Amino acid sequence: MALWIVFALMTAAAIGAVVWPLARKPRGVAAGNEVVVYKDQLQEIERDRAAGLIGAAEGEAARLEVSRRLLAAADMQSAQASAPASPPQVRWHRRAAALGVLIVLSVLPIGLYLALGSPNIPGQPAYARANLPPGHESIAALIGQVEERLARNPNDGAGWEVIAPVYMQLGRFDDAVMARRKALALNGETAARDADLGEALVAAANGVVTDEAKRSFQNAVGRDPQNAKARFFLGLADEQDGNRDAAAAKWRAMLKDAPADAPWLGLVRTSLARVTGQPPADAGPTADQMAAVQNMPEAQRIAMIRGMVEKLADRLHADGNDVEGWLRLVRAYAVLGDSDKAKAAAAAAKRALASHPDEIKRIDDLVKGLGLEG
Amino acid sequence: MIPELGHYALMLALGIALIQSSMPIIGARTRDPLLMSIATPAALAHFAFVAIAFAALAECYVFSDFSVLNVFENSNSQMPLIYRLTSVWGNHEGSMMLWVSILALFGALVALFGNNLPATLKANALGVQAWIAAAFELFILTTSNPFLRIPNAPFEGRDLNPILQDPGLAFHPPMLYLGYVGFSITFSFAIAALLEGRIDAAWARWVRPWVLGAWMCLTLGIAGGSYWAYYELGWGGFWFWDPVENASLMPWLAGTALLHSALVMEKREALKVWTILLAILAFSLSLIGTFLVRSGVLTSVHAFAVDPRRGVFILAILVIFIGGALSLYAWRAPLLKQGGLFAPISREGALVFNNLFLVCACATVVVGTLYPLALQALNGDKISVGPPFFNATFGPLFIPLMIAMPFGPLMGWKRGDLLGAAQRLLVAALLAAVAVATSFAISHGGPVLAPFGIGVAVFVMAGAVTDIVERTMVLRLPLHATLRRARGLPRSAWGTAFAHFGIGATLFGIVAVTAWGSERIAEVKPRQSLEIAGYQVTFDGVFNRAGPNYHDVVGHFTVRRSGQIIGVMEPSRRTFPDREMATTEAALMSRGVSQLYLSLGDATKDGSVPVRLFFKPDVLMIWLGALLMFCGGALSLSDRRLRVGAPRPARAKVKPALQPAE
Amino acid sequence: MTRKQRRLVLIGGSLGVLAVAVALMLNAFRDSIVFFNSPSDVLERHVGPGTRIRLGGLVKTGSLVRSDGLRIRFEVTDGKTEIPVTYRGVLPDLFREGQGVVAEGALDNAGVFDADTILAKHDETYMPKEVADALKKSGHWKDDYARRAALPVSGASK
Repeated sequence: MALWIVFALMTAAAIGAVVWPLARKPRGVAAGNEVVVYKDQLQEIERDRAAGLIGAAEGEAARLEVSRRLLAAADMQSAQASAPASPPQVRWHRRAAALGVLIVLSVLPIGLYLALGSPNIPGQPAYARANLPPGHESIAALIGQVEERLARNPNDGAGWEVIAPVYMQLGRFDDAVMARRKALALNGETAARDADLGEALVAAANGVVTDEAKRSFQNAVGRDPQNAKARFFLGLADEQDGNRDAAAAKWRAMLKDAPADAPWLGLVRTSLARVTGQPPADAGPTADQMAAVQNMPEAQRIAMIRGMVEKLADRLHADGNDVEGWLRLVRAYAVLGDSDKAKAAAAAAKRALASHPDEIKRIDDLVKGLGLEG
Repeated sequence: MIPELGHYALMLALGIALIQSSMPIIGARTRDPLLMSIATPAALAHFAFVAIAFAALAECYVFSDFSVLNVFENSNSQMPLIYRLTSVWGNHEGSMMLWVSILALFGALVALFGNNLPATLKANALGVQAWIAAAFELFILTTSNPFLRIPNAPFEGRDLNPILQDPGLAFHPPMLYLGYVGFSITFSFAIAALLEGRIDAAWARWVRPWVLGAWMCLTLGIAGGSYWAYYELGWGGFWFWDPVENASLMPWLAGTALLHSALVMEKREALKVWTILLAILAFSLSLIGTFLVRSGVLTSVHAFAVDPRRGVFILAILVIFIGGALSLYAWRAPLLKQGGLFAPISREGALVFNNLFLVCACATVVVGTLYPLALQALNGDKISVGPPFFNATFGPLFIPLMIAMPFGPLMGWKRGDLLGAAQRLLVAALLAAVAVATSFAISHGGPVLAPFGIGVAVFVMAGAVTDIVERTMVLRLPLHATLRRARGLPRSAWGTAFAHFGIGATLFGIVAVTAWGSERIAEVKPRQSLEIAGYQVTFDGVFNRAGPNYHDVVGHFTVRRSGQIIGVMEPSRRTFPDREMATTEAALMSRGVSQLYLSLGDATKDGSVPVRLFFKPDVLMIWLGALLMFCGGALSLSDRRLRVGAPRPARAKVKPALQPAE
Repeated sequence: MTRKQRRLVLIGGSLGVLAVAVALMLNAFRDSIVFFNSPSDVLERHVGPGTRIRLGGLVKTGSLVRSDGLRIRFEVTDGKTEIPVTYRGVLPDLFREGQGVVAEGALDNAGVFDADTILAKHDETYMPKEVADALKKSGHWKDDYARRAALPVSGASK
């Protein structure tokens, strides 16, 4: 509400400032004219002549020229002075102008604002953020501190370990990869660290399990065959390669020897349902489990990935010559379980790449691999 | 709430601009003083609201309000305060806001200090100024809105490009914009005069201070940009003939021509048609510069085609304003009456000569800048028009101009005495000859023409001094008489001398550094020395240094001259881990007006580093010259005569300092 | 002199200067225009030794060899064709393997491109525009470049 009151005041101030002269009695406005300039020029010619900057004859000629202009200007001035606008005309003008000002200044800005403004989003400057509930207050500052410490002492393995998940949360995936790598190198290789690195790599590649990420997960499983994160992503890798059966097998195995309270049960079940095309085998996740899934970083990541995928889609629709981009888009939609969009993207890709049969074939192969045809 | 206030203020400003662009002009046509008088408060209110919008945006930057998309994309709360502030204009949207703010500022200045103008001229000029403002405000609101919001504000913004985190680049855009946009006033005056059909000597007198002000800012802006490129890019070059640089040089050349032709118009009422055309061209070139830099055509003609909204909008503004202005010009210009007479050999003739060469030089820059774009758009051929092209065209056109320059101020108005002027320049010519001979004697190598370049530069500088000497009669009169004469000289005469001397100094620097600058490229091991121009530069080793959001690998070098240590130089390689970017931070050591310049390559494993070491003789003269030109402009601007015609309000005494430029 | 004669002098002089300017420009266009070529263009257009050109593409990964520290050799590729380049001097900030580069110089008789300038002054993006165009044309434009280039977008240039 305060916002609108301020807007109203601003509008009133603007109208007031512009209408103000109309409300006054018409009187001569302080204005200059040519006469003064030419008079000064006449003096200037005298000075130039005294300084030898203009010859005597030329000075005289120049004086004549300027005098002529001076006379003309004086004539014009008196002509203007004797023909002021007549009062009725002035009154009419005044009303029309004031009305115009009123309409333009009250309608146009508000109209524009309703179309473009965001009155409901409060400003969030740093000093306001500082008053937010604890936990929010200074993530940026904390990160800054940790980063500073790490810059001074880049061999602080524990520091890298601390900051990596924060980078993941913030969507700074490239930084997360870097931090995970350092943690791995400095603190020694463990299954969990390998799996975490893999996860960061996947996030950095917009959700695609790259070869490098796959190797990390394989290392993790090599060290600890029960590492859930690595097993899950290896399944995802299979799915993305189009090998749904292998994915399903991996995930079924996970479910089989899973502890009953594993937080990832829901995720694996939904993924399994996606590749097998059947509803989850159990009665479905409980409300608690759903909540657990909601709170998991993976869930957040998928939301983030969706955002990125949309960006990729926008770019490709603007410029469709990027076959790698299209392949990634189709794959991403499939990974997110959105087969309609995946199919639509494949069709759009084929249209955009119509003149490149080789690349269309690659799209077709992928569609087949993902089981999207039909 | 702050960002929304700014957003709304900008919209109100657009509304006011629309009123300001119509009513005063109608008033001027119907000779209705009431409607005309709207112009002044409207221009002031317009500026006030644009200033509110700009201040709101700046507030969001300074206090890192990442709920504003533009702030999120271009700032970061960890940046030092000063760069948070300057990153307001470090991006497209913000820089357009700055553009419009300066436009509004000039409008307000005309409203405030334009009391010496006839009411109709003032009303029309402010109206035209508001057209431009309205067009750019619409552009900002529809295609480049800096006030768009993000519902859930991110915690941290994306960093500013590290190259932009530099004091030089932070401050030279505003200066450059003051110049660019300053020419909008002369444009508005020209269109206003054409609308009214009354263009006379007094017009030139009124418009001259504005031209001067814009020209001064542009001079300083260009010089600042050039110095930034010199020390930040690590190549020791001060001018690259890069399209972005040319975009600022083109209006400068046209503006310099305008400055001189307006003088002829004021004195003789001649060259009216030409002066009006120059006023239109100077601002058109500013607009073209904005278009080149802002639309993305420079990055690629294709980038322009991919996201064409901005480019097409600016192109439309360009076509409407330039096309409209030139049509109006073509319609009205033939109606102008003949002006006064002058002989070809005269002060006026010299100014015409100056205009001819300046405009031709400007044309070569325009062609060289736009030709590659046109060619790429036409047949896809990609060419680069680089320094060789400009050296072969711009140079030959500029040299005659330089040689003729000292003659101008020594010639009489209407009919000059070339022989007399030449006699008075005899001393200057002798000095120049001595300079040529000395350069030949002490220089080994370097281009054969270089000593002559030095000769021309010395001639220009000595010529500027001659002018003052002649007019104060130094040595011919007793000292106190000379001083009295010096005080009696109009400030504009001092201004001319300063500016001309400055251009000579700049030329001197350019010639010296281009012809006799030396360069060593080598890989040095610790304790190893390089020898350049009599200096021994010894590499001591490298060390690490952490900065706020970067870290430096610094090379430590000791500089000796004939065995004596005269200082250390510490160039560095700066890495910004967030951006995976590295920049070279060159080290500079000034010796008089010359500089040693050292930049570092990536250190190799065995502890040696590749370095580029330059000796830049007299390089600082380039920018000192520009500074002198600026001072010359300021002196001229303070000349009493430019203020003549302002009715003095009887009660309120206006402080002279508050009247820089009406 | 009459008014008419003076005007003739003025117009004649102007035309004279203009003619000189045009002549200078035409002359300069003949001598000092440098064409931009991708490695494939160099082959297709049969660019001869000694012709000054700008060569743009990616620095082929693994091809960078530093011999005595300052003399370097690398290959510029557009994915189809590679051309070896030699250069002596300190490399610009943004020079890296796998990144775009523009070199100015001429081919020698052995088909090695002898560069005297490696361009440092890109736009704020990491990719010189000509290189981006050439790579897009030859289908080697990777999304990655666009993503990287998109980070420091829209900075104020100079």
